[in-house]
Amino acid sequence: MTQTLNPDRTCCEEGTRASAFTRRSLLKAVGLGTVAIAAGPMVGMRAAFAADPGWTGDTLVVLSLRGGFDGLSAIAPIGDPAYATWRPGIAVPAASAFQLDSMFGMHPGLSALQPLWNANKLAFVHAAGMSAPNRSHFSAMDEMERAAPGTSARTGWLDRAVGLHAAGGPFGAVQMGSSSIPESLVGPVPVLGMDTIGSFNLAGAGNASQRTTWTNALDALHSDAPPGLQDSASTTLAALGTAATLAATPYVPSGGATYANNDIADALKNAAQLIKAAVGLRVLTIDLGNWDMHAGLGTVNNGWMHDKLVELGGALAAFATDLGSFLDTTTLVTISEFGRRVEENQSGGVDHGWGNAMLVLGGHVVSSVHGTWPGLAKANLTDGDLTVTTDYRAVLADILVNRTGATTSQVKEIFPTYDGTTIGITAP
Amino acid sequence: MALESAHMSRRTLLGGGAAVATVSALGVGVAAAPAAEAATVAVIRKVTMLKVVAFRYNAATHVTTVTKATKTTVIARFYGAKIYLKNAKGAWIQVPYVWSPAKKAIVFSRYLQLQLAAAAAAAAAAANPTSGIRVIPPATFASTTAYRSTDWARHLLNRAGYGPTPADLAAVKAAGYAGWLEHQLNAATVVDTECAAILARLPDQSLPIWRVRHGIENGTISGWEQFQAVLSDYTARALWSKRQLLTVMEDFWGNHFNVTIYADGTAESRAHYSHTIRTHAFGKFTDLLTAVTKHPSMLTYLNNRDSTAEHPNENQGRELLELHTVGVDAGYGEAGVLSSARLLTGIGVDSDSGEFAYQPWNHWTGAVNVLGFSHANASDTGGESVVNAYLYYLAHHPATAHRLATKLAVRFVSDTPSASLVTMLANVYLKSDTAIAPVLRALFSSNEFAHSIGAKVARPFESVISIARLMQITPVSTTLDSTASLVWIAERAGHNPFGQPFPTGQPDTADAWESTASTLERWNNVLRVVAGWDPSSNDVIRPPLYNVVIGATLPATHGELVDHVATNLFGRTVSDAHKTAVLAFLGASATQPVTSGSAAVNWVLPSFVTVLLDSPYQSLR
Repeated sequence: MTQTLNPDRTCCEEGTRASAFTRRSLLKAVGLGTVAIAAGPMVGMRAAFAADPGWTGDTLVVLSLRGGFDGLSAIAPIGDPAYATWRPGIAVPAASAFQLDSMFGMHPGLSALQPLWNANKLAFVHAAGMSAPNRSHFSAMDEMERAAPGTSARTGWLDRAVGLHAAGGPFGAVQMGSSSIPESLVGPVPVLGMDTIGSFNLAGAGNASQRTTWTNALDALHSDAPPGLQDSASTTLAALGTAATLAATPYVPSGGATYANNDIADALKNAAQLIKAAVGLRVLTIDLGNWDMHAGLGTVNNGWMHDKLVELGGALAAFATDLGSFLDTTTLVTISEFGRRVEENQSGGVDHGWGNAMLVLGGHVVSSVHGTWPGLAKANLTDGDLTVTTDYRAVLADILVNRTGATTSQVKEIFPTYDGTTIGITAP
Repeated sequence: MALESAHMSRRTLLGGGAAVATVSALGVGVAAAPAAEAATVAVIRKVTMLKVVAFRYNAATHVTTVTKATKTTVIARFYGAKIYLKNAKGAWIQVPYVWSPAKKAIVFSRYLQLQLAAAAAAAAAAANPTSGIRVIPPATFASTTAYRSTDWARHLLNRAGYGPTPADLAAVKAAGYAGWLEHQLNAATVVDTECAAILARLPDQSLPIWRVRHGIENGTISGWEQFQAVLSDYTARALWSKRQLLTVMEDFWGNHFNVTIYADGTAESRAHYSHTIRTHAFGKFTDLLTAVTKHPSMLTYLNNRDSTAEHPNENQGRELLELHTVGVDAGYGEAGVLSSARLLTGIGVDSDSGEFAYQPWNHWTGAVNVLGFSHANASDTGGESVVNAYLYYLAHHPATAHRLATKLAVRFVSDTPSASLVTMLANVYLKSDTAIAPVLRALFSSNEFAHSIGAKVARPFESVISIARLMQITPVSTTLDSTASLVWIAERAGHNPFGQPFPTGQPDTADAWESTASTLERWNNVLRVVAGWDPSSNDVIRPPLYNVVIGATLPATHGELVDHVATNLFGRTVSDAHKTAVLAFLGASATQPVTSGSAAVNWVLPSFVTVLLDSPYQSLR
């Protein structure tokens, strides 16, 4: 009674309880009680979570392009006569673009992605976004990642998506590249945030022997603790063992993949390593910021946008190569809080807008630029912005249904005010 | 003439040599007349007074019989039936006398005297709604876990503060249970000069919003620094203020009325918002709710400044009900949300100054009904007073009382407080006209609080601060970067103060903080602070760890060393099984002698202290 009125928890109380309960139950069921972890956490973890009975679909990677990605530069509507008119200084010239179809061309900065397009591993959705414009970074991210407009839901959509299934292990939901958890993962599902696999360690334990010393002491010191505290200590110690095993051997990317030396490449390299290690990874989130190009976006061959796209495209290409056959069970999607204004501003940049391009990478995508192009003629714009014709939730729902086995009613739980189903971006 | 006509309606009886008056028609008045009275009908004249020496009084009939009086002449002020004499300070004070036409004098009325006393008491109670409720120290204290002893001083500092320091433990014990809490609840009475000197290095949070806005516009104030200063100010108070409970309540209300730090458009008002919350932290919730609802930070964060009669934005109207007052289960429905949003239209922000402004042109007019609050709301100019009445109504609603009582019990007692405790606190809240201090007095007097030792789990920020307090760090004179450093490492563990991205604020129960990442970072943060990695030695002065946990006398054996360090950290030794585990960690037997060269008191000491502080002996509070 008193619990249900606890205002921080009003909407999530039952979910929290259920999650905590099933997590504990699962640990017991697969023989991962405290004793087992203390005795041999690494071996137990690997064996147990490779099965992961709660999740049978792809590993879902959500890459958030923070700051407002300019889809009109990345996937340029070079076939729309108004495009170059609106953007005399910064439009991608048709001749420079990699032709995707009669309307769209890919920015040359993304040239590393061309083989993936040709191999049917890469798709785009254009004029996608939220159903109503929201041009504030903060509240647009909030709204987009909560993905439940018109409701009181206080959880993120990825938390709800993962929470539909039986609880997984500590590596079920991971934020890679930073330990701050995105809003899409806010909620009862436990999230593991890590800069890198190698940095996920006990600060005091520099080697395997010290790790054992610490693990034994911490495990013993928690022996009389309440179940919640005891469980979190046990699972943390187990996860530390797994991470240490992974970090013990220098990681060699497969297929000759070469990652550049930047944050997004590091995050995707660590993501690939986790995916291949079969540690029970269900969803993984990565942030890539610095897209808020109000001024000095640059030209097609150099400058801010070009360099960012090279960074992004190169990292994604290396990730796909590195994954090899694991790409068949991985789907990556990009989101960004809003697109940019169609018209270039006086500073050679673009202001906050609405409709945007989304990128989908995986083993089972349908290579195409999906969506309905609304056109860039002034009458077709919404307050100067690209009109959204595909709800971003339609893209996510398509992936959830086709690639993670979600049912229509589960989609309704994940996106409570959205009625939609697959739109053919991915294949079952 | 006014005087004569006024007391024509009064029934006056005189009998024998005694003055007898019934004044039941007078009703209860207040001691001081409104200033406007003097300008209209009051009459001042020289008059005979039969000053009472002895009397009899019949409580049933309200009849006073004066048996002895002395005759004197006074200058009296007559207003209606009320008679005022000047006191020593020259102010007109109503006296318990009535005019007797028969005696041609003013005569004593015991009944009126009782009425005036009651009115004075009521006025005093209204001015200080906390009167009548005091902290009563619980008879016994009990721990819910084997990890914690029944030390009440540590319990108080763990709940009404950010954990013990040697100095604060001594202060609590010196002041006593009730004495310390009373000072905390009247924070201004707590001498806090050292912390005040530290806070003086930060921007003045009481600065009017328009000045900050102007400063940001002309480049003399950084908006980003305004946000950071909010975090530094709060963290500095948690670390070093003697007004610990005030800072705990700043966190409590700051999350109840969450305005996420760095939220768009709130740079100019966010510091003032924290100041506003502290100002009302122990006062009437009605006042806090009103101040927050009309604060530009909240109006910006929840978009009410953009809400108009034609296009009401429901955000703040909804959260006012769901989060700030009655709660989502109160039964107001979507129609209630719409009415709430419409009511709040016009409660806006002046686009020029950034200050609160009531903007009648934006106010929706028409009848409203939310959870039994109904109002014609007929005029645009009257909208603000309707909002005030609405907020008063919501603050006094039983569902609000129950919700706040629950949240306070979860904050201070346990994650699962009993229904009877919540009901008791809700009743105190309503009887105290929504004042918070009496609710806290009742809470800290409860057996449930006294028997809840160890029932709460330290959240990551609380953990970081409690360790820093144990380590007795103080800031260097040149910088407060140490606060930013502690905020940053707490954020790594998922607990950034006032940083919850949703209007809900951060959860207050342990299950929300049990994730693997949060646990690992909480452990690592302990080592960061204990080993002196964070905050940087450039930013803080820290006594040597050896001095803090060992002190003057080195124990003889490793077994005694574990007991000694645990006692310095927790005020108790650890269990035999846990001592065995710590000795294994140290690679020593219990009887193995300790010398000044032993690893455990040298290079292993930070790890030794950390493994103890990672344990439930510290994290259960």
